[in-house]
Amino acid sequence: MNLLSFLSFLILAITLLTMVFGVIAYFLYKAREKKKGAAKITYEEALELEKREHLFFSKE
Amino acid sequence: MVDFIKKIIFIAIMAGGLYLTYFSVNNLERIYIETSSVFIKFGVILIFIFTIFIIIRYLMLMFFSILQTIRRSADEDFYLSKKDIVTIIVPCYNEQDVIVPSLKSSIAQTYPNLEIIVVDDGSSDRTYELAKMFEFDDGHRSLKVLSKVNGGKSRALNFGIQKAKGNLICCVDADSKLDKFAVELLVQHFKNPEIAAVAGSVSVVNTDTFLTKLQALEYIQGLNMVKNGQAFLKLVNIIPGPLGMFRKEALEKVGYYSHDTFAEDCDLTLSLIAEGYKIDFEPDAVAHTEAPEDLLDLLKQRYRWTRGILQAIKKNKKYLWHVRSKPSISFVMWYMLFESVFWPFMQIWGDLFMIYLALSTGTSQLLLFWWIMFTVLDIAGAIYCLLITKEKLSLAAYSTIYRLAFITVINIAKIFATIEEWFNIEMGWGKLERKGRIG
Repeated sequence: MNLLSFLSFLILAITLLTMVFGVIAYFLYKAREKKKGAAKITYEEALELEKREHLFFSKE
Repeated sequence: MVDFIKKIIFIAIMAGGLYLTYFSVNNLERIYIETSSVFIKFGVILIFIFTIFIIIRYLMLMFFSILQTIRRSADEDFYLSKKDIVTIIVPCYNEQDVIVPSLKSSIAQTYPNLEIIVVDDGSSDRTYELAKMFEFDDGHRSLKVLSKVNGGKSRALNFGIQKAKGNLICCVDADSKLDKFAVELLVQHFKNPEIAAVAGSVSVVNTDTFLTKLQALEYIQGLNMVKNGQAFLKLVNIIPGPLGMFRKEALEKVGYYSHDTFAEDCDLTLSLIAEGYKIDFEPDAVAHTEAPEDLLDLLKQRYRWTRGILQAIKKNKKYLWHVRSKPSISFVMWYMLFESVFWPFMQIWGDLFMIYLALSTGTSQLLLFWWIMFTVLDIAGAIYCLLITKEKLSLAAYSTIYRLAFITVINIAKIFATIEEWFNIEMGWGKLERKGRIG
């Protein structure tokens, strides 16, 4: 295998891996934000969402 | 002698870049002639057009930037009117880790007539308490802390501007630290009555990790090549959040910061350009800021910037077609559309097309040449910027990874952000967690 072919293969592999990594990283970021958003809800907002008078929490 | 050698290296790299560009274009032409597939022919034409656009973009920005640097060094007039009162506005929301060094740097400014207004936007931490400790008034200079119910950065800035005594407003981020001459350097641009705003320079303080080094390189290139080039035309398209100065009268004319986009700085700059004002850049007025150290935080920042810029473009889209009546704003809008939408899509599409070519026809060398061409352009741009900023030249070595990995990951996030903006998917502010590195 000559140097040019080797470098071409290397760049091809890195490009492919980076693209896959980029997509995964983006969805990881979205998942983290979703988790954070869910955790930051206040009691009043939860009441409003549930349309109930009281919310009861159970201990696991 | 060392400078001469550096310049020779720079010219050699530029010449190498041009040769490789010729080689890539030649390869594209060969593939176009040899293939019978309509898809490949179409792809080759697209790649060819994109490559031409990118080369023109690089060369124009570098050319304008060089001219701007020459113009700056030839202009020896130093304007410092003591009549101008400058009000620094520091909007803050939960900034207890960074507010102290930030305020200390504002107080340390060399400019004499200074008013500093800290607007606490309903913080739930010790920000208000810490800022309050710095309150003073000595007749010429003062610092006061105002508090309001949380309503977002643009409302906090407008609140501060309306309370300001100054005819020049300097907006800074609470997580940034200013160089002591920053305000003085920004003020001198306002001797030209057409100038409505001046963008400051932003530098990354925490360059101790691989990711932040890449961002530092991005900032140096983005500021010294892109903003300096735009400054030649007095059409800088974004006043950065960490440091920007505005003429209060111009802000009143355009109705201050708006609240309907996530890039209030970009939206305001576009409104000022649409009003016929000029926007300048001062490379020596520096704000030091903390870059995200975590990849997911970086993606969050870029996602928010992209959607904000797209919202600002969408809001001002009528100017895209005002090519004859308002050429400045039309040009700036097309340029922003190119940078934020066309470029990321074309680069990722180009990579995918090259991978397809490599797998279907075995011509994987084209991807190598394409990457080398971009990398050489990046290295040339980086060396030019590092030479004029007198930063370490070793940072240019990161250009090899910059295009191959860093920009690809950022562009993927930009593409997703564009798609989500297109479909109006709800988004939140998502404040970045600060580590307090500016102290």
